[in-house]
Amino acid sequence: MKQRLHPFTALTAAASAAVVTTAAAYWPLSVAVALAAVFLAVRREVAGRVLPAAAVILTPLCLSLLVLHGLFFPEGQTVLAQWGPARVTAEGLGFALELGTRTTACVLAFLLFSFTVSVPDLVSALAGRRVPPQFGFVLASTLTLLPAVSVRLDRIRQAQETRGMVVRRGLVSRLGALRLQMVPLVLALIDDAGSRAQALDARGFGSPGPRTTYREVADPPAQRRFRAAALVFAAAAVAGRIVASWPAGVPS
Amino acid sequence: MTATTRTALQIRVEAFTFHGETTPVLSGAAISATPGSLTAVLGGSGSGKSTLGKLMAGWLQTGHAGQFRGSLELDGTLLEFRGAPDDPRINPAEWSRRVAFVPQDASAMLSSVRATVAEELAFGLENRATPREDMLSAVERTAARTGLSDLLDRDPATLSGGELRRLAVGCAVIAEPDVLILDEPLASLDAAGAAQLEDLVRSLRGSGTGIVLLSQAADRLAREATHWTILDGRTVTAAGAPAQLAGSAELERAGVIGVGGPGVLGPRAIAPSVAIGSSVAAGVRGPGPVPVAAPGPGSASLELRGVGFGYGQDPRRRGAPVLARVLRDVDFAVHPGEIIAVTGPNGAGKSTLLRHFNGLLRPTEGDVRVCGRSIAGVPVGTVAASMGLLFQHPRDQLFERTVLREAAFGLGQLFGKAEAEGKARAALAAVGLSGTEAAHPAELSASQQRLLALATVLAREPAVLALDEPTVGLDRHGLEALQTAVVRAAARGAAVVIVTHDLSYARLNAHRVLELTGGRLSEI
Amino acid sequence: MSQSALTVTAPGQAAGRRRRLLEIAGAAAIAATYIFLVLTQPADIANGPASFSALVALGGFLLGAVLLIVAVLPVLPTSTVVLIPVALVLNVVLGQLMGSTGLPFYIDAIGTVLIAVLAGPAAGAATGALSSIVWSFFNPTVLPFAAGAALIGFLAGMAARGGLFRRFYFAPIAGFVTGILAGVVSAPIAAFVFGGTSGLGTGAIVSAFRAMGDTLLAAITKQALISDPMDKAIVFTIAALLAYALPRRTTFQFPFVRHYRVLAGKSPATPDA
Repeated sequence: MKQRLHPFTALTAAASAAVVTTAAAYWPLSVAVALAAVFLAVRREVAGRVLPAAAVILTPLCLSLLVLHGLFFPEGQTVLAQWGPARVTAEGLGFALELGTRTTACVLAFLLFSFTVSVPDLVSALAGRRVPPQFGFVLASTLTLLPAVSVRLDRIRQAQETRGMVVRRGLVSRLGALRLQMVPLVLALIDDAGSRAQALDARGFGSPGPRTTYREVADPPAQRRFRAAALVFAAAAVAGRIVASWPAGVPS
Repeated sequence: MTATTRTALQIRVEAFTFHGETTPVLSGAAISATPGSLTAVLGGSGSGKSTLGKLMAGWLQTGHAGQFRGSLELDGTLLEFRGAPDDPRINPAEWSRRVAFVPQDASAMLSSVRATVAEELAFGLENRATPREDMLSAVERTAARTGLSDLLDRDPATLSGGELRRLAVGCAVIAEPDVLILDEPLASLDAAGAAQLEDLVRSLRGSGTGIVLLSQAADRLAREATHWTILDGRTVTAAGAPAQLAGSAELERAGVIGVGGPGVLGPRAIAPSVAIGSSVAAGVRGPGPVPVAAPGPGSASLELRGVGFGYGQDPRRRGAPVLARVLRDVDFAVHPGEIIAVTGPNGAGKSTLLRHFNGLLRPTEGDVRVCGRSIAGVPVGTVAASMGLLFQHPRDQLFERTVLREAAFGLGQLFGKAEAEGKARAALAAVGLSGTEAAHPAELSASQQRLLALATVLAREPAVLALDEPTVGLDRHGLEALQTAVVRAAARGAAVVIVTHDLSYARLNAHRVLELTGGRLSEI
Repeated sequence: MSQSALTVTAPGQAAGRRRRLLEIAGAAAIAATYIFLVLTQPADIANGPASFSALVALGGFLLGAVLLIVAVLPVLPTSTVVLIPVALVLNVVLGQLMGSTGLPFYIDAIGTVLIAVLAGPAAGAATGALSSIVWSFFNPTVLPFAAGAALIGFLAGMAARGGLFRRFYFAPIAGFVTGILAGVVSAPIAAFVFGGTSGLGTGAIVSAFRAMGDTLLAAITKQALISDPMDKAIVFTIAALLAYALPRRTTFQFPFVRHYRVLAGKSPATPDA
């Protein structure tokens, strides 16, 4: 494909899409944004990871919305069906549709960003913008730690089973086993963090002052212009929404 | 040596005490480093070597980490510490530009946030706002020096142990320090990795860097030192030229491994590999294995019959990965009272074999029998009653608040509440940990933690004892305790399997030595 | 001074004041947003999906969280900064482990609370907020809850400073109170941004209140008051158990623990699990 997007360009695009979708509150637009995100995910060959991740997040949320607003919407006027206290109203279903599609669009846009961005590029770009280096550290270190921790947890489990631990089905037994797994994990992580802090300080991480970056991230002018335009567009959408629905009770 | 040689770094420790503790972890120590010299600090596990190194390097922030009384002198700047709030505070970034430290766990040196070896090397320079052109040339220079030039684009997480150690050294020396402190630089490296690191140290020394070596083995590198300091029981017991100290009683008492001096019994220089830091045979004294009582052929404690195993193999795919085949047709039996050693090169599948003993891994063909019964389908936790298995990383196995509770864990179900504590205390005594019952396991030295893990296995009195690389990280006291415990367990009637990369140790301590190569086990 | 490069002096006062101002601005942004949302909540959500309130809630709470991070992060010592990724990973991993026991709670803040106990309220707040921001890489829906997560970390740190972790039975009580406050603050996000809660159990509780005629915000707030305090009481208890399982050398390396005597003396009053 083309050259890689600057991390900020992708981030701005995702954030603007989310803001505009939220401000517009128009379900066909939400559906369009969601479809565009899916299309781009397929083109960038990350659909196989984005879609399952989105499904895990969105399925319970959308089901919950449908049940909640579909059956119980006291503000609804147009009753379509009724069983006891539960009333299916057109307004309730519409509300669930609006919110469900809106959240779907935002989640897909952000997941598309996070599954396509190169984290080292993002960290380097952040450092170049004088964002506190601690932020980039927390982001990148978390992503390195996560796989390492699951490997470690496996090792702890094996070692403990080897010492004769049999996890039975009861809640108490499982909680007990859990405590025994957590302690070595937490202790090792905190100890490692302690020595890492000493090493980082020795390598100048804690010192104030300017920094340079070894990794270079290209930022073509066209992408800068695109970012500016996207931000202006998102700001306009927010301003439009605020003007349109400033609550009556508050002086403006 | 000459009067004109200036001292680059000097430390005098009256006492250093961690917060919340009453006894100092280090007291009465003083050492110095001069440009181009190699100073070795030798001592057993828990002797205070790492604390001394970290204090010298400004890693242990005085006041923050603990209370320090003493002084540090770097190139004419003298800092006095009285353990008071108005003590000087070292600027770690500036200090380590002059005095660099490489910890024993090399991965602790890495930032964990850089994607390639080159960026990891540059991390310290970035933080000091070094211009990019200077960084590029410094990275190239340091990579060439540490033999990392071909690995610059690799992810640091994928490096081997030796490469990782060299990267850590590279991160330390990229700022061109006057003094470099290395904490156990050869620990758990294979022969090739150790040799590369020794060459690197020599070249740094040749270019004028003063080296301080912290080690629990008087290995080849330590023998090149100009000066030895012996740490024992958290204080300096002797200091002087290596020739004077090589056979001294102080060195003997300190628990240092592998001195080729007269104070050591046992065979010297069995093989050239003995001189390498990863080999511990020369330091181990001991009676050797006792003869097997009467290994009756029918009563094997552990038996593997035609065991084969492969990781993630898929017979439906064409060209099924032959490499994934780790074990093939492994047959062997261990009888009560017998000590067997399994050796083989790194990656030969020794740990895989060990994990079959208790069912952590299940064979794809063949059968594993413990005390005459097949363990197929039996949960690991149940097999554990007769199979005591000790892994390499003791920290994963320990989880209780005190040493005694740790050793007594689960004994109540095996022996009854009344006997549990007695069994636990006996097991602790067997590995020489009496007196530490109330300590937190994490506060023991690395060597003692391994022995505690061994005690937790011994306390259960299993029919089979299987130990994965039990010698790694042990100082000489630890090795002796291990030796005694293994011999005693065998005398009680346990079958012992020791998996080790150290052939000379295996030859000395086992009745039979088997080698695992190409997935097959053969007697040697 | 000739040795000025090798040693450092204590940080100055001016920087501290600027930081304090940012902290106050951040807290004020969160509080003002909450009050504004409650006062102006749309009386009739049937007219549209509360898009205005959603934007205000997102903007105000995120601004507050970012201000707190900007104020706190650069002055945290490195020994605390390195704990934040650890806390985050613990939040996720321990949350999943607890989830495997089948208890009906999220238990997703153990790491945040543990760090707050060890390193204080500022570190706790930064950990909570950063935890949400970084975790939104994998689940963007947690991003809007950054302010609530910061509040949990902050309150846990205050509870530790006040000595509530010295007695074992105080920890769940502190958690309970934290749960009430955090639940109330987070409810507008759930109501206006997502229009409900994720998960069928909580959804059923909200439905019940809606069936009785409550507004969406009121229903979600009441649901939060039912489930959050219990959840946080469990989280605080587990964090306390973990803090006491750590060796003294580890806990005492934190000045906050030493200075405020966060943990009880020799033998902790923890029951054996």
